[in-house]
Amino acid sequence: MGIDRVETGDAELVRRVRAGDIGAYGALVARYRDRLGRYAVHMIGDREDAEEALQDSFVRAYRSLERCYDPARFGAWLYGILVNRCRTTGARAARRRRLFVYDAEALTGASHPDAMERLEWTDAVERALARLAPEYREAFLLKHVEELEYEEIAELTGDGISALKMRVKRARAQLQKFLREAEHV
Amino acid sequence: MFEHDDDIVERMIRQLRRPVSLDPGLAARVMGEIAAPAHPGKKRTWPWLAAAAAAVLGAVVIAHPWTRGSTTSTDAFQFVLMAPQAASVSLVGDFNDWDPARAPMQTAHGVWATVVPLAPGRYRYAFLVNGVEWRADPAAPNAIDDEFGTPSSVVTVAGRGS
Amino acid sequence: MILVALLLATQVVVQDPRLERLDPETRSSVVAIVDSARGMRLPSEPLVQRALEGATKGAGAPRIVAAVRRLATDLGTVRTALGEGASTPELEAAVAALRAGASTHVLTNLRTARRGPLTMALSVLADLVASGVPADSAAAAVLALAPNARDADLVDFRRAVERDISLGAPPGASAAVRALNTGVRDATATADGQPPPRPPRRP
Repeated sequence: MGIDRVETGDAELVRRVRAGDIGAYGALVARYRDRLGRYAVHMIGDREDAEEALQDSFVRAYRSLERCYDPARFGAWLYGILVNRCRTTGARAARRRRLFVYDAEALTGASHPDAMERLEWTDAVERALARLAPEYREAFLLKHVEELEYEEIAELTGDGISALKMRVKRARAQLQKFLREAEHV
Repeated sequence: MFEHDDDIVERMIRQLRRPVSLDPGLAARVMGEIAAPAHPGKKRTWPWLAAAAAAVLGAVVIAHPWTRGSTTSTDAFQFVLMAPQAASVSLVGDFNDWDPARAPMQTAHGVWATVVPLAPGRYRYAFLVNGVEWRADPAAPNAIDDEFGTPSSVVTVAGRGS
Repeated sequence: MILVALLLATQVVVQDPRLERLDPETRSSVVAIVDSARGMRLPSEPLVQRALEGATKGAGAPRIVAAVRRLATDLGTVRTALGEGASTPELEAAVAALRAGASTHVLTNLRTARRGPLTMALSVLADLVASGVPADSAAAAVLALAPNARDADLVDFRRAVERDISLGAPPGASAAVRALNTGVRDATATADGQPPPRPPRRP
């Protein structure tokens, strides 16, 4: 296939794709799928919509690859496409119920009551996220979950750094409040 | 069990950082879309799927309206299997009389695919690799019964308006 | 004499040419089963497909005949549970659900609980069990969702539970909690109406 499992940098993969090696794009998809998928699922709150947004973003990135001016930072550029795509879906998905998002560690555990409690915590987390305004959720996820720098976030959202910092701060405060409320149900 | 205010947010962040499960067919769908000729309004045939990396774990069933407004209520479904070592793969099931000659699959870069029209219903099916090896579809539900000792999968097609 | 001739004449049925793929011994047994199923107004297509599956897989005559006979019996069972109006896809899905462990009561309850075709609901039930969800949990979840969920919602539900399980969730818990949070009450009640076990309160 021409792509080995040894870490080939994004720049090299982009170069190969541009040279006609479609398979090299598969390696990029594999590389970024989980990370971007995680963002999309938490941002949109609906797994099917998130997967659709993710798929669209990958396809769009491929088709506009010539506009990736710094191939070494393909990942960041791809994030920007996804963030924008999630913004348009956000409005549509808002009226649908948010589904659970599970993860391995929360779920492994033998007894039924423990599993139920873990699932309830996971649910509380997702519901708290859902209550945030979209721009707060976006900033919070990019900063704390995706662990991007404020400079990077500013670049791909087009927002100012101080505005982003304020949103993240407010998001944290609100989430604290929501999670506390959920505990006392 | 009183938790410091900030800690509960940190706990939430740890929770959110955990991996999220995604449909294993997503990478295949991306690669398929990229490889397909973009001709809106025409029948979409996907004879080739470009290589996806190891992320393409299994098979995917994608519904595509074959022709809009047709009187026969079938949708076209694409069946995909990753089998880089195979010399031939056939799709057989309740929709084609389990006849290996009816749906031989096409391959590109180890990814095998074919498209079949399906009317609403529940269909058992499997892949026949190299004419001898039976494989279920990794990304589809397993068939409950394997009375003949080989694995099968199930695809259920909803009726219109359901 | 004439009576016998007439009887023989009515027994002559046009045979499905696809069954030519079976060896003569298998074929005659299968044809007999198909004919008697037709006589009971049960669909023959599933029976033919099962026979062809066996043929393609190189199964011996006894195995093919046993499989076809078992299917015919099960089609009859589920047709009784679902009623005369059940479509062939519904019957096939119902057989899968039955073999997954759903009782005929569950099938009948589903018919009452849900308007429109039951094919997807029954399929999802069977598929859940195939993923490892205990039959009564699967039945309870599907029955709880049946009145209001669209077919697409049921498919989403099934996929979501399968993902949970692939990540290590206890299958019964996943199905119960997801059905619960789809906004339906009593989702964790078992299919025969027992009250659900209460989850422990948080300290």
